[in-house]
Amino acid sequence: MYAGHFAAGLVIKSKVPRAPTWVLMTGVGLLDILFGPFVLLGLERVTLTPGVPPGFSLDYIDWSHSLLMSLVWAVLFGALFLRRGRTVAVAAAIAVFSHFLLDVFMHPADLALWPNASVHVGFGLWKILPVGWWFVELGFIGVCFVYYYQRSRVVSTFGQRAWAVLAVIVFLHVVNSPWLMPK
Amino acid sequence: MTPTTMAILTFLSFVLPVPILAWLDRSPKDRAD
Repeated sequence: MYAGHFAAGLVIKSKVPRAPTWVLMTGVGLLDILFGPFVLLGLERVTLTPGVPPGFSLDYIDWSHSLLMSLVWAVLFGALFLRRGRTVAVAAAIAVFSHFLLDVFMHPADLALWPNASVHVGFGLWKILPVGWWFVELGFIGVCFVYYYQRSRVVSTFGQRAWAVLAVIVFLHVVNSPWLMPK
Repeated sequence: MTPTTMAILTFLSFVLPVPILAWLDRSPKDRAD
């Protein structure tokens, strides 16, 4: 999942308008923000699989994406914002952990319970529906946006340009579509 | 594409949208402040 994570961030923003949007949007992507440097440092491994959905195999992502480490990153990230209040800190932590929960649906079983655990989880929508996953994620984005839009009409402190926000997220989703992936 | 390229692209793809989305989400009142 890619753009869907940002859509989840909109829902959290709607629930906790006081939480800065940049904090929530950074939070929802934090596990993949860590994944990049971890691969470059050799802590994690990925193999490209052109032509085989989803185009890559996440061989070892236990330090950024395992259940335990997702919770650790969530707590650490949330703690950074305790000065802004407990509610904001909890929202930031939930944003981080939402990434793991959503990835469980998309990833094949490459999400370890903890680093180097033998048990891995993942429903594998990417593999079960090599193209259909994109529409499932689009539907998820739509549901999240409807909630965000409705809340933004009630709470005027965010989302006054909700359609522009949606346009950006849909653009990101289109860029991440199976039709544009490297062959 | 190589794993290194994918790592860099993944990093950028989750970092670059953050300021754009945060800016678009701000209310007119916030921007005036």
